[in-house]
Amino acid sequence: MKRITFGLSMALLGAAVLPLEAQYPTTPPPAAPLRRLEFPPFQLAQLNNGLELLVVENHELPVVSISLTMRAGSKYEPEGLEGLTGFVAELMTKGTESRTAEQIAETIEGVGSSLFAAPGGDFLTISTTVLTDYVPLAFDLASDILLRATFPEEEIELARTRFLSALQAEKSSPGALAARYFARELYGDHPYGRQPSEASTKAVTRESIRDFVKARLSPQGALLVVAGDIDLSRTRELAQRYLGDWRGAAPAETFPAPPRARPTDILLVHRPGSAQSNILVGNLAMRPGDPQYYAAVIANRVLGGGSDARLFKILREARGWTYGAYCRVTRPQEIGYFQANAEVRNEVTDSALVELLSQLRRIRAEAPPDSEMTAAKGYLVGSFPRQIETPSQIASQVSTTRLLGLGDDYLQTYRERLSAVSAQDAMQATRRVIHPDSAVIVVVGDGQAIYDKLASVAPVRIIDVEGNPLTADDLIVTAVALEVDAARLVARRDSFEMIAQGSPIGFQVTELSRANGTVVYTETLSIAMFGMSQETRVEMAIEPVTMGKVDQTIEFGGQKAETHLAFSEGRVTGHAESPQPTGEFKAIDIDTTVVEGAVEENAIQALLPALLLAEGASIALNVFAGSEGTTKPMTLKVTGVEEVTVPAGTFSAFRVELTGGEQPLAFFVSRDTPRRLVKIEAIGQPFSFVLVQ
Amino acid sequence: MLRVAIPVALAVTCTAVSLSAQQRIEFDRYTLPNGLRVILSQDHSTPIVTVSVWYNVGSADELLGRSGFAHLFEHMMFQGSEHVQKREHTNTIQRAGGTVNGTTNEDRTNYFETLPANRLNVGLWLEADRMRSLAVTTENFENQRDVVKEERRLRLDNQPYTPAIIEGTTLLFDSTTCFPYSHSVIGSMDDLDAAQVEDVQAFFDLYYAPNNATLTVVGDFEPADAKRLIDQYYGDIPRGRDAPRPECQVTYGQGAGERVWEDKLATLPGVIIAYLAPPHAHPDTRALQLLSTILGAGESSRLNRALVRDAKTAVVSVVQMSSRRGPGLFAAIAIANQGFTTDTIKAQLQEQVAKVLAEGVTEQELTKAKNSFRAQDVFGRQTTFAIAEELQHFAHFHESLDEIHTDLDGYMQVTAADIQRVAEKYLVPENSLTIIIVPATAAGAGGTY
Repeated sequence: MKRITFGLSMALLGAAVLPLEAQYPTTPPPAAPLRRLEFPPFQLAQLNNGLELLVVENHELPVVSISLTMRAGSKYEPEGLEGLTGFVAELMTKGTESRTAEQIAETIEGVGSSLFAAPGGDFLTISTTVLTDYVPLAFDLASDILLRATFPEEEIELARTRFLSALQAEKSSPGALAARYFARELYGDHPYGRQPSEASTKAVTRESIRDFVKARLSPQGALLVVAGDIDLSRTRELAQRYLGDWRGAAPAETFPAPPRARPTDILLVHRPGSAQSNILVGNLAMRPGDPQYYAAVIANRVLGGGSDARLFKILREARGWTYGAYCRVTRPQEIGYFQANAEVRNEVTDSALVELLSQLRRIRAEAPPDSEMTAAKGYLVGSFPRQIETPSQIASQVSTTRLLGLGDDYLQTYRERLSAVSAQDAMQATRRVIHPDSAVIVVVGDGQAIYDKLASVAPVRIIDVEGNPLTADDLIVTAVALEVDAARLVARRDSFEMIAQGSPIGFQVTELSRANGTVVYTETLSIAMFGMSQETRVEMAIEPVTMGKVDQTIEFGGQKAETHLAFSEGRVTGHAESPQPTGEFKAIDIDTTVVEGAVEENAIQALLPALLLAEGASIALNVFAGSEGTTKPMTLKVTGVEEVTVPAGTFSAFRVELTGGEQPLAFFVSRDTPRRLVKIEAIGQPFSFVLVQ
Repeated sequence: MLRVAIPVALAVTCTAVSLSAQQRIEFDRYTLPNGLRVILSQDHSTPIVTVSVWYNVGSADELLGRSGFAHLFEHMMFQGSEHVQKREHTNTIQRAGGTVNGTTNEDRTNYFETLPANRLNVGLWLEADRMRSLAVTTENFENQRDVVKEERRLRLDNQPYTPAIIEGTTLLFDSTTCFPYSHSVIGSMDDLDAAQVEDVQAFFDLYYAPNNATLTVVGDFEPADAKRLIDQYYGDIPRGRDAPRPECQVTYGQGAGERVWEDKLATLPGVIIAYLAPPHAHPDTRALQLLSTILGAGESSRLNRALVRDAKTAVVSVVQMSSRRGPGLFAAIAIANQGFTTDTIKAQLQEQVAKVLAEGVTEQELTKAKNSFRAQDVFGRQTTFAIAEELQHFAHFHESLDEIHTDLDGYMQVTAADIQRVAEKYLVPENSLTIIIVPATAAGAGGTY
């Protein structure tokens, strides 16, 4: 049993003198002597089946934290079944031979607690924290879900649906996309680089879940950490009773090596319309137990560990380029990485990246000054006790130390080793850990807006959010002529009702007139409940379709926004104001090129009756979005013919889906002449417009 | 740093409840001559200390036309004082390895630091410096007003359902008889725009005086050292005027209301049924809180089982209950699943509440809820920060700080009959406001497409 007290160098934290006079100090009072930190002692034991037990006694409160960590992380997933461990963890609490999912929830919640299985890259962990009285119950439940989970088919399907929609949601999250492609770039075929995909999520079966559980969830190499109001003999007794019959030894695995470092280049993940760029820069760094870890952690703190570090101070406070900029050094079981990140506005993407790289070079070149070393050590040394305040925190620290093989004295000597790092050590460590000239750089953003800027920094490869390679030419919107049957576009006036949740909440009136080859379309939209009204006027030529002017006024929430755009000779100029979800109005000045045949977003509704609609038809069009000042390729696809009943009557109508914009829409256009728009649905939303007359 | 918490406690089985588990929190308390209340509680298990200051001022203290001040102040308090430069408060704490933050709610504003035990002095000094000499300047004020607006955009307006829950439920209160709770903590941006730096200074002088504050220190320290430092740092801060307390008149059972709330970020419609609940210290509160757990906390709660798991009409369904000095809320919430309407989930929420009124709750459910409270009570005392907040809570929201020793017993004594009684008293349609949350994503203006 170890009981080691820290003797930390006093010099580091200032003199231990308290002021004696009772005057109010005008500068921050100096640090008092460090108070003793007795790291909670721990005891080790092993069951006959190989399961290792680690007990940290702490009897202050009647609380016990239990965590069982097994060598069954996602790195062991068979190829093509990425995401499998997510299913395993999710399904463990969804039914056993003797308990349904409801009974498991009810039992653990009945004692005021919860029970989780969590998948990680290296390990899979089952954990809970309970009052002392309920420790046997916790062991009973934990062993039940571990040894007797049934993985019911219907729960697998529910989990699959959730995972698939999470993957879908990930595509609209620039941060998640950046992390995914960064891992892939850095680790290649090494399992840390493999990620769940739609295909792999669909490939998981009950069989594959059971096979994995059988092969990998074994007591050999697993660690049970129990911390709190309990002792070793009680823990051993409970572990023996509930886990004594658990058998098995997971096979050792070897993993393919990650790719070798190569000269820095940039992977641009093209996300059209992105208002900001997410930048990740990094490289492979250290394995657990590396003696330079302490120096690297301090250097990392100086560079970008918090809001008083260089990256934050320079990129955010001094330049105002970013919402935040940080860096980190990871330490998983295999090789870890260094990574710096920043989210920046499109227009400063290149400047921010150049500055970030120059900060990486600077910290390799110059030993940090004393002031930064003191601040970094002060934080890292001072924050350590806060990480071992509760039994579950202690369990997690001790568990990590043990599983990564950091040595029995790691936690006891952690503060001293950090304190002993010199500025020179910190700089030396960065030379091993940070490699700006052979770094992986991933930028997620609007390629159209940032490609040229990035190309001036380093060679750029481009992919779309699905991972398909693109060329620089793919970023340029190519002209498509929009074919119309001008005869179908007749002067008329239509009234629509806007329906939400089955109730009318507003109206839209549209009017179209033609004179001398020019079409004028006006649209009035009013939703009284939201305090919103909008008037739009579009002027365009029809043969061929060429935009003229667009004027729009929106009143919303007591504010007024105006948009005026003029199209002429391949350019559009003007000013656009549009309400944002935040209630603010975004205003942009527009003076940009626009491809031939592009239509302004407000003109689509007017043109629908004149398009060459037929069953199965798919019409590509370029849409200039005034609210964003950019052109987006979109598609109108006829997905079928439906009988549509609206207040104005029953119509046989083409269902035409518009995709490529933020909100997919379904338009219903009557097939009889004259063709009319009879209904608009916002796909996936409880909103529609129906023709009244 | 507005905290929009959605507290979800957990609950379930028929295990017998033992009353012995409540751990006694020992403390000393005293008051300085200038009125500053001090609570000290030692815990030597880890060399950590938490310094917590609660000012007895929240959004409920704001006057008509002056909403948003309490929260703005929370920001102002990090903008420097006579001996502390802007941002240096946070940086000093960080360099010592500590954490620091502040939050505002209806009834109080709190500030706290958790530090290595040998830096107790710097935590106490930083709090004292801003209590005695906050830099109330036009520049700081204007700058933080912008920050608050940005925060509103990011934390409130940019989150689906949050504005409906936070601002929608204030509609339960009539602003003419109870302005304190009829506006949200973040307040009106127009009021903030209209404010002058003199108003801000007056607010500081009235509410940020030692006689309106409670200082709590929890952790590894020697009481004599702490007392000496507190005398030295806080002793000569002048006492302020006594602050007036807010007035709120409500009438229970005034009639059912229903409002439609447009939510620009929500993709699925939702329903909130909010009932007017008693103040936190009211004897009925415990039974209502236990009921809120039975109905709407955890996977095995009634709402989650009925709406989410069985009928699959909702993606989430929970109950939230406020802990306020004045009258509060008991709110049942459901977000509809794809393809289901608010009519369906509203009817299901009503049905679940009606079932409690008609049949009450089972002994098993009650035991499960009590176990949950007992466990949360212990789990909530694992850190110096949590203990400090607990002490402050009792000092502010209960008759006496000593109730910290007996409060849990009160929950354990609640019977199923008590629960049915409070349900009949508060959870009736004429005491409710229903908010129908309508996603407006598709209705958003602009080009629409």
